[in-house]
Amino acid sequence: MNTPAIKLTDLHKEFASRSGSGVVKAVDGIDVTINAGEIVAFLGPNGAGKTTTLDMVLGFTEPTQGTVEVLGTSPRKAVSHGHVSAVLQTGGLLHGLTVEETVKLIAGLHKVPERVNDVIERTGLTEIKDRKTQLCSGGEQQRLKFALALLPQPEILVLDEPTAGMDAGARREFWGTMRQEASQGKTIIFATHYLEEAQEFAPRTVLVDGGKIRADRPTDELRTLVGDRVVSATLPGSGAGADGADVDGAGVDGADAGSSYTEATSRIAAVDGVREVRMEGDRVIVEGSASDAVARLLLTDLGASELEVSSPSLESAFFALTQGQEAH
Amino acid sequence: MNFTYFRIDLLRQLRDIGNTAIIIGLPVIMYLVFGSTGGSGDQVVGSANEQFYVMVSMAVYGAAMATTSIAGIAAIERIQGWGRQLALTPMTSTGFVVTKVTVALTYSFFAAGAVFIAGALTGAEGSASVWIRSFLLVWLTSGLFALFGLAIAQLFKSESAVSIATAGLVLLSFLGNLFVPLSGTMLNVARFTPMYGISGLARWPQMHGAIIDNTVASMAEWPHDSLWALILNVLVWALIFGGIATLAVTRSRKRQ
Repeated sequence: MNTPAIKLTDLHKEFASRSGSGVVKAVDGIDVTINAGEIVAFLGPNGAGKTTTLDMVLGFTEPTQGTVEVLGTSPRKAVSHGHVSAVLQTGGLLHGLTVEETVKLIAGLHKVPERVNDVIERTGLTEIKDRKTQLCSGGEQQRLKFALALLPQPEILVLDEPTAGMDAGARREFWGTMRQEASQGKTIIFATHYLEEAQEFAPRTVLVDGGKIRADRPTDELRTLVGDRVVSATLPGSGAGADGADVDGAGVDGADAGSSYTEATSRIAAVDGVREVRMEGDRVIVEGSASDAVARLLLTDLGASELEVSSPSLESAFFALTQGQEAH
Repeated sequence: MNFTYFRIDLLRQLRDIGNTAIIIGLPVIMYLVFGSTGGSGDQVVGSANEQFYVMVSMAVYGAAMATTSIAGIAAIERIQGWGRQLALTPMTSTGFVVTKVTVALTYSFFAAGAVFIAGALTGAEGSASVWIRSFLLVWLTSGLFALFGLAIAQLFKSESAVSIATAGLVLLSFLGNLFVPLSGTMLNVARFTPMYGISGLARWPQMHGAIIDNTVASMAEWPHDSLWALILNVLVWALIFGGIATLAVTRSRKRQ
């Protein structure tokens, strides 16, 4: 048997609440085993217990109950030997140091000064190595922290919401850099509240909420469960949709609206990938994976207007997944 | 003690122009202002002259500002996330403290040294032994104020803490008898304040406990501090500052 990279057993963490008397159960019984080479997303809203769990994996805090094993040893040992490293949430760089000095300083602590240039190059920091850390953008600061995390050549990388506060471009760039490291067989666990990050990057997703694991399954299953889009539009034949109808020239009048709705919904339902079609007043609501085809049909043949396409929210993903879990 | 960390961190502190100007520049300027009003330099005070007395006073002030500020900044940075970054390295807490104390003492060495050089160039006079012993005492007793900076930082937990600490230091230096000679009730109150002990010790080679008192006519009638009282002052305040810092750290850990 191989030693698992990370093994959390019956993990609990309680804090005294800020108001004084009460107790906050930040982590309330987590069991999870992550094998070497796995890439796992911890997905959950703020306050779900993700950071507290990762803090225990890194040995920053001790569990109130339960055990943490990292590569078969204690988190502190694994960290101080450089087997585990992490990119922490935003903040936590020294002002007044340049990017290169920061890398040199941490390399000095790990006693690997020879790796400074290599790491700066791999994380794309060469151009900004003389910039002061406080003048770096959020994305650049996170890339710098990623560079620091790579210094000890860790087997396990822990990323705690590494892209929080980044814009879409910076986020894509960060994960691009990350992907290269992942291909080298590192074990990676990351916390995120972006569904897309879990989908794009992690073959396995652990859904955390209220300090408990709500679901732990391959991300592919998650994708089919929550990959649906919701398309809604106003069909012609009512007040709001009348303009659209005129342009189309279909000339549907009010009296025929009911039957034309039925015809329209049955045509939509016939599109491959549509799971559900329903009317809410004069709005047609379509759920399924074929959002493009449905939108095309609605805007051309059916003369619909005020089209909206929405992707599933984290909440709906949660709902879908937790429902799915209970059904098993 | 990590030498790379020490070197890069010290360089960073010295590069902070604003801070360096206040900590190293201001005491020198204050010495030149207060010290040059002391006349031609033939006024003998204790085992040296009046310029020497003012020089030691301003060096105490500068060295204490240096340690207060380095320790305060270090504590704030640790709270704001650098501590977690360091916890991902093999550096231990003890290693961090030792390295930071070395940085603080190096910085206070420069701060005290700058005033001493200004003194040597502008007429401060004393025997070689008085110079060396005074300098070592100014320099090493400034370590007490690293604890002060730490305590204030742990209490206020924000960047303004360091400004509060250095501003408070001006008041404490006044009470420490560093700016104007205190006498009467004021002096009796001042004896219990934290700058007083290290000032008295730093001046010991020159004054041997005597306190300048302009309200009495002859030096022979100047009030005196005993060595043990000054040492006691330093020890008690070290315990108080250290205790506050430790308590604040424990309290914040529990609530994390």
